Amino acid sequence: MRFDAIERHGMHDAPLQRVDARIKLIATLLFVVAVVTTPVGCWRFLMAEGLLLAFLIGLSGVPPQELARRWLGFLLLFGFLTMTVAPSRPERVEYGLGVVALTLLLKDSLAFLGTLLLAHVTPFHKLLRGLRQLGVPLTLVATLQFMYRYLFLLIDALDRMVQARRARTFRRSGRLDWGILTGLIGVLFLRSFERSERVHAAMLSRGWNGTLRTLDESS
Amino acid sequence: MHIPNALLDAKVVVATMVLGAAGLAFSLRCLEKKLGESTTVKMGIMAAFVFAAQMVNFPLGVIPASGHLLGGVLAAVMLGPWGGAVVIAAVLIVQCLLFGDGGLMTLGANFLNMGLIGTVGGCMIYSPLRRAIGGRNGVLLGAMFAAWISVILAAGAFSVELAFSKRGPEFLRVLSLMTLVHAVIGVGEALITGFVLRFILMTRPDLIEGLDPDGSTHRRTTSQGEWVGIGAAGLAISLAVGIFLAPFASSFDDGLEYVGSEEILGFSPTEKAAKSILPAPLPDYHVPGLEILSLKLATAAAGAIGTIVVFGFGISLAWTMNRIKIKSKARNSNPTLAVADAGSEFDAF
Repeated sequence: MRFDAIERHGMHDAPLQRVDARIKLIATLLFVVAVVTTPVGCWRFLMAEGLLLAFLIGLSGVPPQELARRWLGFLLLFGFLTMTVAPSRPERVEYGLGVVALTLLLKDSLAFLGTLLLAHVTPFHKLLRGLRQLGVPLTLVATLQFMYRYLFLLIDALDRMVQARRARTFRRSGRLDWGILTGLIGVLFLRSFERSERVHAAMLSRGWNGTLRTLDESS
Repeated sequence: MHIPNALLDAKVVVATMVLGAAGLAFSLRCLEKKLGESTTVKMGIMAAFVFAAQMVNFPLGVIPASGHLLGGVLAAVMLGPWGGAVVIAAVLIVQCLLFGDGGLMTLGANFLNMGLIGTVGGCMIYSPLRRAIGGRNGVLLGAMFAAWISVILAAGAFSVELAFSKRGPEFLRVLSLMTLVHAVIGVGEALITGFVLRFILMTRPDLIEGLDPDGSTHRRTTSQGEWVGIGAAGLAISLAVGIFLAPFASSFDDGLEYVGSEEILGFSPTEKAAKSILPAPLPDYHVPGLEILSLKLATAAAGAIGTIVVFGFGISLAWTMNRIKIKSKARNSNPTLAVADAGSEFDAF
């Protein structure tokens, strides 16, 4: 499984992990709003936000290099979008292009790392329960629960199909037929569709009436 | 195309959040009416499918990069417009909360662009086209064209949001360039959508939303004359798109110049200064030889050429689909067996 690293840190018994998911959700939202609304040139605010985030990352026990690796993956996108937007910002006249672009980049990075930290210290099912308690419609939360439940299964199925195909086709790597790749997606669609029908039938036969119950709900 | 946090203005963020939330609530309501209590199971698993399908990387050949499916129109073809929108919403929420892909503040904007404008809008193009062409070819060609347009529509919506965020007079240039770039990206999306749909049409046509359970629909084969008709329709649409885009672009330009002129709005001093200090805002976009007029022409041309290309690919895919179908029918005259055959060939993966 490729994504289990995210869940792993959520299970630790650290101060941040013990906080209620609702509080963490709202705090993250407030943090992102604060970062995004910081005006250009307010280096002190930006620095304070950065220090706060660094402190929280330290407190959470999430290895910083893991966050940094993800951040580097997004840096290219951030950089590209910043360069397309920064030249037309009105602040450019006052501060110059470099400062505006740097601020935008910093703001995006801080918000990104804040959101990622939330994902790392909160298991997804707790996050969803927090969303539900905050008033997000049940249908949406339940859909997300099902999606998360089957996401890793489907990704694993896809991996297996890719591996099997690789084991049987002798081609130069990297230049694959689009027909084969789309065949993978097609098969995956058929399998997931049929799986959803089977899962639904199995749930009905166990007396499901549209409400989801989880074991940790009563506590 | 996931917009990060700091890119949009506060008012745009609030407006898109409200619009996105309202659209999502409406989609969920429509879906619940149709699917009942199976909504959550089906949509959850289909969202997981779209997420997984986005991880399949397609080599682009000439360029040392790879692209992937976005899946909005594909989901809408198989689950209906509202199902597609809900699936995209779930994918966006998981990508944002779990992977930081797309900002928390811009979740509304991202859903508006890709879920509502891209998917529901794409579906509005898909259904009439499909009905006009009819049968399995209609599904294939309609979906491919809709997939192409949906990418462009989403990019256009993004540039409109960007334009509102910074009040720049360079809106047209951004819009044109976004359209140009995404006209190319959209061809990839159309091709992947077409290939996947062709596969599903050949194996389980009954799963396509609204297609006859038989899957064979009205016509088994398409005659030579009908192919000419479909080709002519594609050509007509491409010309229409080109002709439609040209005055649209130019009128937008005039409109913005009009608004931008001081008599109308009275730009604030800083902005006036900005205008005078910067003879060419957005220098990144200032490609020599790509002046406004040529951009307008290029956008219109991209519309026309893209339509021709997408329809060309679509017709060739539909043609091969029908040929394979006929061949497998000739082999073992029982169509259901042929379907099972085509399925097992890939199921062995």
